[in-house]
Amino acid sequence: MAGFVAVLRKDLTLELRGGESTLALVALSILILVVMVFALDPAGGAADAPIAAGALWVAMIFAGMAGAARTVLAERDNGCLRALYLSPLDRGALFLAKLAAASIFMIVAEAAVVLMLVLFFNLDFDLRLARMLPALALGLVGFAALATLLAAISGRVHAGDLLMPLLAVPMYVPALIAGVKASAAALGGAQWSAMGQWLRIMIAFDVLFVAAGFILFEHLLGED
Amino acid sequence: MDAPAIEARGLSKSFGAAPVLRGIDLAIAPGRALMIIGRNGAGKSTLLRLLAGLGAPDDGEARLFGAPSRKLEAADRRRFGMLTHQSYLYPNLTARENLEFYCALYRVADPAAESGRWLERVGLARFAAERVRAFSRGMEQRLALARALIHRPDALLMDEPFAALDPDGAELAATLIREALARGCAVALTAHRAFALDSARCTARELVRGRLLGAPIDTSVADRAESSPTHPGAGAR
Repeated sequence: MAGFVAVLRKDLTLELRGGESTLALVALSILILVVMVFALDPAGGAADAPIAAGALWVAMIFAGMAGAARTVLAERDNGCLRALYLSPLDRGALFLAKLAAASIFMIVAEAAVVLMLVLFFNLDFDLRLARMLPALALGLVGFAALATLLAAISGRVHAGDLLMPLLAVPMYVPALIAGVKASAAALGGAQWSAMGQWLRIMIAFDVLFVAAGFILFEHLLGED
Repeated sequence: MDAPAIEARGLSKSFGAAPVLRGIDLAIAPGRALMIIGRNGAGKSTLLRLLAGLGAPDDGEARLFGAPSRKLEAADRRRFGMLTHQSYLYPNLTARENLEFYCALYRVADPAAESGRWLERVGLARFAAERVRAFSRGMEQRLALARALIHRPDALLMDEPFAALDPDGAELAATLIREALARGCAVALTAHRAFALDSARCTARELVRGRLLGAPIDTSVADRAESSPTHPGAGAR
């Protein structure tokens, strides 16, 4: 637990100083959202719920690819990832710390994007928006876990940096579809029961990738 | 004789078709040092990486504290320190924050006090609140020495520890290594040329084309130079 806290505190300190991950996430998310709004030209109201949900998730995923993996990739500077590997820190705890840091950066970015979404799509700050939050939270954690795992893999293979965009979206498709459907249902005013099946898919995705990261991170950090 | 803390048996490694290490055998007991001398490209850094468990050998085995280096338990990883060409320091953290972070990783008691003590020791107390990215290469190397030693390891792997250091810094590094040896730490270090360290505890062997030559190098000339104006670290840079 002490190692988890130390790595998370260090990552948050670095982010507060540099702000690279969060700034990249916020800027890219808003940019993508603006482009989508102009392209789709929403009229506003409940009829636009599927469009708003789709725009939100596209912004989250493409911006997340640029920002969520930074917590692992930044450790390559000065060989710090090797230092973590050699230290007595439990590698599962290291994965969880990186996942927590990436999730926090994405939460900050998504808060900004949801605000923009409300403005661009003329949404109200009401229960519909609140009902979307569980899907967003599950989506963030799942994507952060996947991005952290892929960032560790990318360090082991030739041209690994190309791996992230090639693998992240296809692997995330089940959670992405579920997230869009659940968000569209929430924004369209549907009850919790209508979102249940989609949320269950997202929970399963999160459990799978958090468990995979926790178990596999040790093997992915080693070198050949 | 004590069981070796650092050991290699028949260690071989190739990159592509080019063999870098060929059947390296070595054993370093607690309180002893092996200085591995070699030219650029001789395989020194690769040897230390394999000893640390950072890479997999093609053949043979590297061991720390009797266990395979690639499968060390957390308790054994806590007893081992490494200094490489990369400082393992975070450029956007201050010197003190870097040391306190490593204290937390290695569960060193009272990280604030211990970091302050080591900053004094390596002559960086004035720069404790400076970010590492503003440091010169020599200052970064001093801080890296503190990072590698702050948890009082029982085995140390040091890749050219005198690199980038000024004469005072090189003397400081030599003193820190001697102190580590005196408290029973096993040390494997690399250099381009033999230099004075502690002739009673240190053996120097040459690494040539991936083979560790059997005959120890006579460091007595270098030892004599220790009291002369010639700096002990000069040969390593």
